[in-house]
Amino acid sequence: MPDGYPEQNPKAAWRVYDGEAVIVSPEDSTLHTLNAVGTVIWEAADGRTAMEAIVARVIEAFEVDRATAARDAAAFVDSLCRRGLLTVLEAPRV
Amino acid sequence: MAEVTVEIGGLRTAIVTDRPEIVEVVARRYAGFLAGGPPAWRIEAGVRPEGVVEITDVRVRAGEGADRLVLERHDFLATLDLRARTGTLALGAVDHMAVDSFLRVTYSLALLERGGLLVHAASLARRDRAWVFSGPSGSGKTTLARLSPDAALLSDEISIVRLRDGRLRCHGSPFWGELGRPGDNDEVEVAAIHFLRHAERHAVTPLTARQALQTLLPNVLFFAAEPGLVRRVLEVAAAAVEAVPCFALGFRPEAAVWEVIAGA
Repeated sequence: MPDGYPEQNPKAAWRVYDGEAVIVSPEDSTLHTLNAVGTVIWEAADGRTAMEAIVARVIEAFEVDRATAARDAAAFVDSLCRRGLLTVLEAPRV
Repeated sequence: MAEVTVEIGGLRTAIVTDRPEIVEVVARRYAGFLAGGPPAWRIEAGVRPEGVVEITDVRVRAGEGADRLVLERHDFLATLDLRARTGTLALGAVDHMAVDSFLRVTYSLALLERGGLLVHAASLARRDRAWVFSGPSGSGKTTLARLSPDAALLSDEISIVRLRDGRLRCHGSPFWGELGRPGDNDEVEVAAIHFLRHAERHAVTPLTARQALQTLLPNVLFFAAEPGLVRRVLEVAAAAVEAVPCFALGFRPEAAVWEVIAGA
């Protein structure tokens, strides 16, 4: 199970249409679009919600098995971190 | 000091200078867009001592203090104070290209607070309604403008759209493309936005707001990276695509395309 507390880049501009997010990168105004699973993770990435809880939300919303959800969520978070849209905190933001 | 005021997208900007050649360039280039009345913005213009410099693109960076930006291109250096609505412009070359580049960047920023965007798009008015045809270079903007002799040209390259009371309006634009002439200085309610691509046959496909926003955003002229401004661009663009129907338009270069343009 991946750990940590993903947090959105507060400079990112975004909105959700029909359960899918459109995000504009703060650094270069690049446009990113997320699918429904990615959007659930993105919306939960408030710096206070643990990865474990985020994975639980994905399982509940999309009826996938825990191992698949955990693996995919970790890969997705890693991908958004590389794009500067997320950071993963070691401890929850208070 | 001399002063010349332009009104673009319903926003008046006074350019104040002690250089008569700058007044002359502005007055000639924006002949259809000169205005009287109190300006919303005031730009003090002069000449850049070092002249033209070697920069390949437009650079926009944060200036000293909140809401201040520095704009630079090979042929100008400028500052804007978005809160005070003032700025300075030092022209490396006193010609219409430098002034035009400065005003495109400036208006892309200045119109934001008033719900306005500059968009890579042709726009045409027929029967008191405007059709906006957006797309990157080569998508057919100028071609479509040429195919529409019975429509009033608002722009063949950079359209100005602005939300007012929840309605999307299109303003005539002086920022021209291949046609080399400005749009009519008019303001018309937008009937629809079409996103252009060349195709074997004419085809119109409705877009969801999300699809339209995704397609519109890369066509919005925007140069700054300040989070508040980026957020505002997203807000205005989202409101724009929610205010009017949006379509993907595949078309061949023939006037019959108007038969399939939605709502025409």
